[in-house]
Amino acid sequence: MNTPRPYALLAEITYRCPLHCPYCSNPIAGSVCEVPRRPQDGRFSDGELTTDEWQRVIREAAALGVLQIGFSGGEPLARRDLEELIHVAREASLYTNLITSGIGLDDYRVRVLRDAGLDSVQLSFQSDDADLADEIAGARAHKRKLDAAAKFRTAGIPLSLNFVIHKRNIDRLPQMIELVETLGAVRVELANAQFYGWAFLNRAALLPTREQVDRAREIAIAAKARLAGKIDIFYVLPDYYEARPKPCLNGWGQRYLTVNPIGDVLPCPTASSAIPDLRFENVKAHDLDWIWRESESFNRFRGTDWMPEPCRSCPQKEIDFGGCRCQAALLTGNAAQTDPVCEFSPDRTVVDAALREVNSSGGPLREWTYRVNPTMSARLESSRALG
Amino acid sequence: MHATANSGSAHPRLTNGVRLQTDPVTGKSVLLHPEGIIELNETAYAILSRCDGRTLDEIVHALAEEYQADPEALAADVNETLADLHQRRLIEYA
Repeated sequence: MNTPRPYALLAEITYRCPLHCPYCSNPIAGSVCEVPRRPQDGRFSDGELTTDEWQRVIREAAALGVLQIGFSGGEPLARRDLEELIHVAREASLYTNLITSGIGLDDYRVRVLRDAGLDSVQLSFQSDDADLADEIAGARAHKRKLDAAAKFRTAGIPLSLNFVIHKRNIDRLPQMIELVETLGAVRVELANAQFYGWAFLNRAALLPTREQVDRAREIAIAAKARLAGKIDIFYVLPDYYEARPKPCLNGWGQRYLTVNPIGDVLPCPTASSAIPDLRFENVKAHDLDWIWRESESFNRFRGTDWMPEPCRSCPQKEIDFGGCRCQAALLTGNAAQTDPVCEFSPDRTVVDAALREVNSSGGPLREWTYRVNPTMSARLESSRALG
Repeated sequence: MHATANSGSAHPRLTNGVRLQTDPVTGKSVLLHPEGIIELNETAYAILSRCDGRTLDEIVHALAEEYQADPEALAADVNETLADLHQRRLIEYA
């Protein structure tokens, strides 16, 4: 089989974040602690990749065919060498995107980012309403985000907004779209929470009701038509309400790769916590080319040979690729099963049970658990070698 | 005030945040934008590489000369390609 080339690298340069959103897709704290203690070629990798290591990763990604890089986290602005990494990415002709909460941005920083060649920014919001937004983020963040949006705009960096949608904010969709207009963004993603990491832990508190989802979809469709040519609106359904799974990553190991803060290379950002029995390679031990082409983790679910029934004989198998491996692992305990969102999956009952619970409870709000920073962050702080 | 797609005096240009470059793997031209990557066919590349401050009329004439084609027939192709890119917010008119 010819190995495809990757198009985009997600660089999760740190898991540290000043926000505590209960739907964060980062691994929940326990699993983050365990990963760095795993020996790599007889050594113990310790803490976040250094500036030099990231620069090498970026150059290797470009050589492999990557055209776009997203700097993400955690909060990527928490690393002071972000602008150096953007600079190196631009030197390698990569399109650079910053995925940020905006916390940590000041006038100086925005200028430096622009001068480094940053191509576009995706700024996250929790709600249009400051009190609700701060409650969701578990931090006083909303006002600073408004300020960050203005700074990016003034600097002339194209601005996209991102709202993670869930039970507590989905009814404010019209007001959130108004905020997008006010802030002069050119694009907004209204993406229902996907249930991985912290969001999986908090699913009962986050999953909206069918009624909420149906109403939100209509609002999004109407807004899309009204704002056509002015603002691009992407509305992402919660896939539990779909009958067919999403074509996750456009297939495992086909177009995307993620490097996490400690240098593990993942076919999907949530794979390290969702699929614990898969061994992920580290950039300190291997070059990216080998990991992409040869490693077990990238080849395990590449193509269609791994598929079980009902995927194997399904005419949709080259369209949705069996759905999401992480979702299969989280919901069935086996990453090689059909994504249980699929109506033909023998495990669809698991998804239906979750939907029944949220749609029949009459709606008392469930508590959620706020995301906390990795417990080894103290060690990371002392060991990181930033330029 | 934005000129319309059909006005020959309009200056089509790449939208802020959109980049035109060569994919080193395939040698083909691509547009890189916040949502992803678009591979361009030769016609689209020939047009976009000339969206450098020239007016639509100037672009059509330059292409007609280079490819020895009828400017009127060419104008229809150019308009169609640009209208598609405009709808996807990849180009704008100044």
